[in-house]
Amino acid sequence: MRRALTLLSTLLVAGTLWAAPGAVAPVQAQNPIQADGQNPMGARPTADSVNEEFLFKQAPKITGRISIPDQKAANLIQPQGREYQMFREGWLPWIGALAILGMLGLLALFFLWRGRIITEHSQESGRKILRFNAFERFTHWMTAVCFIILSLSGLNYIFGKRLLMPLIGPDAFGALAQWAKYSHVYLAWPFMFGVAMMFVVWIRDNIPNRIDWEWIKAGGGIIGSGHPHAHRFNAGQKGVFWMVAGFGAAMSVTGLMMLFPFALVDINGMQVMQVIHSLIGIAFIAGILAHIYIGTLGMKGAYDAMGSGEVDLAWARAHHDLWVEQEQARTASGPQLRGRPAPAE
Amino acid sequence: MKAFIAAVVAAILLGVAAMLALTSNQKFAYQAFATSGARVSEPGTNLVGPRWNGDPAPDEFAGEPHGKAEGAASHPKRS
Repeated sequence: MRRALTLLSTLLVAGTLWAAPGAVAPVQAQNPIQADGQNPMGARPTADSVNEEFLFKQAPKITGRISIPDQKAANLIQPQGREYQMFREGWLPWIGALAILGMLGLLALFFLWRGRIITEHSQESGRKILRFNAFERFTHWMTAVCFIILSLSGLNYIFGKRLLMPLIGPDAFGALAQWAKYSHVYLAWPFMFGVAMMFVVWIRDNIPNRIDWEWIKAGGGIIGSGHPHAHRFNAGQKGVFWMVAGFGAAMSVTGLMMLFPFALVDINGMQVMQVIHSLIGIAFIAGILAHIYIGTLGMKGAYDAMGSGEVDLAWARAHHDLWVEQEQARTASGPQLRGRPAPAE
Repeated sequence: MKAFIAAVVAAILLGVAAMLALTSNQKFAYQAFATSGARVSEPGTNLVGPRWNGDPAPDEFAGEPHGKAEGAASHPKRS
């Protein structure tokens, strides 16, 4: 009996071992990976699946499908955005700080070295000549006032949250930044209008010529004590004019792209516009700082040209001698000269 | 000085004119991007409010549900 039971058990185990491979065969058939890890069909589901690298070979960004009309919302991954963010949050504050503080430092050093440029007294001192008429001054100041507010509100985009918010708190900074944004967006229009008007009004006197090269070679009267010849605008002033025209146009175009987002450019274009706008804006501010310096602190008598419109004739003779001769020849006894009558020449 | 004051006044007037011209063509996001099949958000109940100022229910929007579902809400049956 015991032997029969043992024999029966042995047969049962043997049968089980024989039938087991057949029982798991369907399961094995579902998994084509063999013992050596290779798929006999040659497929590599994980490696061959759609991935970022594959999609970026087809297009510069990965998009999905959406049901709302705003197709921009379908954008899922745009690698250039990371580069833009690195520039916006990493490089831009340093570039801005170095450019603006660097210019202020250079101007301070120049002032310490050169001091205030003063015109020597002459027989013509005390007499006035009209340098800029009321319309020219109006155009200049409208553009200048807008530029100062645009500059401060523009710098707030870069430095506000870093420098101002810790000082005044997030609530006050939030309100200030909102109004700064309004002023930036809306005062951009009179600024653009002012740049266009200045371009039309002054381009005739800002065409570069041979005298400008002589002025530059002579150091412009800034380096040294002499005053090279100059027409209504010297080479330095012409440089400011063309800087304002060029930078103003570039800021206007890139600014309009941002005022009307995605109207003509896609997300990558928007980021490029912001990069150009910010870099030119910083260079613009640095350049205008030098313009403000030489027009106020750096040169005695220069501010009167845009303040009252009239400058001292001795100052005009020293800095713009060819222009003075031209004006006196044109209106020797006319309304250009005030004070004592102009001597006949 | 007159030229300066006139310039400031002109800048402000042009800025205000630009503001009126630009804002007259603007729509809220829920108006611009909503369709009959997709509601962008529900002004008055979203996180920032219809004016994007953090105030979820300003008075002037109190009477305007802006796409809120009307009628009795459906509740799951309880056994």
